[in-house]
Amino acid sequence: MAIRGNWMYENNGGTCVAIAGADYCVIAADTRLSVGYSIYTRDYSKICKLADKCVMASSGFQGDLKALQKNLAAKHLIYQHQHNKQMSCPAMAQLLSNTLYYKRFFPYYTFNILGGLDSDGKGCVFTYDAVGSYERVGYSAHGTGAGLIIPVLDNQLKSPSPLLLPAKDAVTPLSEMEAVDLVKDVFASATERDIYTGDKVEILVINASGIRQELMELRKD
Amino acid sequence: MSIFEYNGSALVAMVGKNCFAIASDRRLGVNLQTVATDFQRIFKIHDKLYIGLSGLATDAQTMYQRLVFRHKLYQLREERDMKPQTFASLVSALLYEKRFGPYFCQPVIAGLGDDDVPFICTMDCLGAKELAKDFVVSGTASESLYGACESMYKPNMESEELFETISQALLSSVDRDCLSGWGGHVLLVTPTEVQERTLKGRMD
Repeated sequence: MAIRGNWMYENNGGTCVAIAGADYCVIAADTRLSVGYSIYTRDYSKICKLADKCVMASSGFQGDLKALQKNLAAKHLIYQHQHNKQMSCPAMAQLLSNTLYYKRFFPYYTFNILGGLDSDGKGCVFTYDAVGSYERVGYSAHGTGAGLIIPVLDNQLKSPSPLLLPAKDAVTPLSEMEAVDLVKDVFASATERDIYTGDKVEILVINASGIRQELMELRKD
Repeated sequence: MSIFEYNGSALVAMVGKNCFAIASDRRLGVNLQTVATDFQRIFKIHDKLYIGLSGLATDAQTMYQRLVFRHKLYQLREERDMKPQTFASLVSALLYEKRFGPYFCQPVIAGLGDDDVPFICTMDCLGAKELAKDFVVSGTASESLYGACESMYKPNMESEELFETISQALLSSVDRDCLSGWGGHVLLVTPTEVQERTLKGRMD
């Protein structure tokens, strides 16, 4: 097959971030959908609830993301029928990795972050590349604003950075309120310097009592 | 790899209350091989004016030599030091002279002007000036630096707090860039004194 140009994929821009805490997980993504230098919509959700305690946020090509979400939802439904329970976050993490690698030679152009609570109730964040390589980490960011955000998270989260050796337990000692405030701050900063990030940020907090959603306004330029 | 990424560099300057700080990393590399861990990127023009040069190291050194030459001549003729705004225009003109065969360096200029008002600016390799009121960044780690400075910067910081902020911003940013790092060099300039400090960060 002759590949002329990049007609198969498009980058819709945007940024997503997740932070794991001792008993909570914060996931956030902006709501802008762009193509080239245009904005298609200011109100597009990049976050999808896959299971009770498992949420996925992605940046990249949103067409592939919609297909991926549909695929995972179907597989999760089958799992529920067969096992009579919801999938745990680490199980969903493995499923996502396998689903992505299945299309190794025509990938989903999505950069995913999975967040939720593991079976012990501790926050967990899994970060992926486009073909399914994944790792459990304490925090992660993907998308056009990720390069602006990750150094700040390295500095502020006071949790062992994945760059340290030997590898340490991942979760941050920050409280839920502090983590949400940090997420709001980094999105405000990323919005200033990244043209694809802005409009609104959708923040989901997963803890023992369920999933809470918050929307914060960002600069619209 | 681009010519601007051949040696690796990170530079940042920030404005505080009646003071400014300018900081750089210390790595000199040749592609992915590190060749020096104490490379100086920030140079003094006069007591209240400093220039940092990122990008290709040989061009940075040549630019510095040419600028020092021009400033010394200026001092002989005018019998005074150059104002930062004037110096910025000089750098811009020298870079644009080489419009069709440029110096591959991006300067960051920081100084105290009339009445000790802090002045910072940066330019691209062709001399397009960008005057900022808060902070300017340059080098291979510039995207990380933009993010870190945007989050950590507050206006009107005193010199101690400014030093902390610029150091944290520099170290967090170079830790995510493989071509810059090996510690940091921070100069904090107030109307009365200049403090020069070396930071120890991840030595890789």
